[in-house]
Amino acid sequence: MTKKKFLLTSIMPTIFILGALSVYPLIQVIYLSFIDRSLVQPGSGQFVGFLNYAKLFTDRRFWNALKITMYWELITVIGSMGLAILLAMLIYRNVGKLFKNILTLVFILPAVIPRVAAGYTWRFMYSPLLGLFNYFLSVLRLPNIEFLSNSNTALLSVALVDIWQWSLLLSVIILGLLESIPEEPIEAAQLDGATRFRLNLHITFPIIWSGLLSLVFLKIIESLRSFDLIYIMTKGGPGIATETIDLYAYSVGLAINGNISYGASMSFIMLVITIIIATFLWRFLRHET
Amino acid sequence: MKHKKSITEKISRYLLIIIAFFAIFPVLWTFINSFKCLTDIITPVPKIFFNPTLQNYVEILKLSSLKNALLSSFIISTSSVILGFIIGIPFAYSIARFQFKARENLRFWVITLRMLPPVATIFAYIYLWINIGLLDTYISVIFTYLLITIPTIIWLSIEPFRNVPVEIEEAAMLEGVSYFQVFFKFALPIAWPTLIGGVLFAFILVWNEFFIALTLTSQRMTLPVAVGAYAVVGMQMDWGQLSASMILLSIPPFILAGLFRKSLSSYFIIKI
Repeated sequence: MTKKKFLLTSIMPTIFILGALSVYPLIQVIYLSFIDRSLVQPGSGQFVGFLNYAKLFTDRRFWNALKITMYWELITVIGSMGLAILLAMLIYRNVGKLFKNILTLVFILPAVIPRVAAGYTWRFMYSPLLGLFNYFLSVLRLPNIEFLSNSNTALLSVALVDIWQWSLLLSVIILGLLESIPEEPIEAAQLDGATRFRLNLHITFPIIWSGLLSLVFLKIIESLRSFDLIYIMTKGGPGIATETIDLYAYSVGLAINGNISYGASMSFIMLVITIIIATFLWRFLRHET
Repeated sequence: MKHKKSITEKISRYLLIIIAFFAIFPVLWTFINSFKCLTDIITPVPKIFFNPTLQNYVEILKLSSLKNALLSSFIISTSSVILGFIIGIPFAYSIARFQFKARENLRFWVITLRMLPPVATIFAYIYLWINIGLLDTYISVIFTYLLITIPTIIWLSIEPFRNVPVEIEEAAMLEGVSYFQVFFKFALPIAWPTLIGGVLFAFILVWNEFFIALTLTSQRMTLPVAVGAYAVVGMQMDWGQLSASMILLSIPPFILAGLFRKSLSSYFIIKI
């Protein structure tokens, strides 16, 4: 058996299956977005050109979804990365090995909870009548907050659950980055009497900078999968206050009117956004090394 | 100097204990609630002391819909992970071991697939499975999940294969052992202890998956979809039973993540 033969047999199955599973939907989504196909009306499916995209352009609800998605990205990416960096710095060089191991285990568990379960858990804690948060508010004689049914607080309340799951996990990963830093420059700086703050600013931070940035990119992409959490907690409501693009695409394309072509046009836009971000990530990482 | 440092250490330690408590609290609270009867849950003042009961677990395990969903979840997750393993592992090995022209582009392609948001492809899949009459079957979900399991397993297996000492393989080759035998008899068994983490991580991902399962299944719904269905039914939710089913749903990822947490972090660090 030659090397070439082995190489081909080992990589062809993946290329074939992943190719089918990814190229097919790409073509299908583009095709669907150019016709007028509905799941509930048989016989529909005429070619309509860019009509779906033109409709998107004037669809206020789509622009709202785009705006909510951007807010969601900003809140969850900044919130979870910021908190994760703080947590990692709090753990780094401050705690013993056993304590650190327990902490990392405790911090990882919330991240692997199925989003469905995480969503319900917090929805119950947010509940106006039965929830813990409002109980504590009432103990403090503060007015009740309808966390999930007030359009001012709903998005932030759901985002907090995402931040809870992600900041803890990210802090463990950032801790790993910090611990991979060689000892010498830090010890040298400490001998020179550098304060902890300056140490972090001038030595630790520049070393882990590219690692942190790649985590930011990853979190941006992971945050685009917000569907499950929002669906469980608010279903996009109240009104459309927490309706991100995936929720809108789902409700227009499948749940409510089965307008699969219109949904597909939104899919395609999401696809383009993701590919752009992923390409940036890849370029950036190759540039760094 | 030394004295000052120990104070910051102490403060950080107490702070971390408090943070760890809050981090795990929502999980604990759900766990506690799953042993309460409904009257102990629906109280204006949350109850910490109550008569623990297994009633919620007994009730949900009587529900045929939940039992079916548990079975579906096991069948779908296990099959898609095993298939993903069989298909992805040789690919990861070749990427780790051999230099060839398309290598870097193939790696990039595999990673981007893992990053695709499900909403970008879901309409194509639902259209496909409707057209070939396989919507709401195990097969359709298992195949769609290969898009998650294959890239994840490849992603997490390249590094373990790189860590297999190349000398062992070369020595075997000199003895006249074929590439296939080197892979099966040396590379795979040596890398196995570190490979398993990635495989189990892929299992967690598909076990937890909600969006694709929600759109592709109704009779064959998986456990997250079955638990998620409470959101549709429920004005008046039975929080006790819901808590019990959430715990049931979370047990497999908890156990796997606890055992293999090291591979969890390597998933998020991209090494070129």
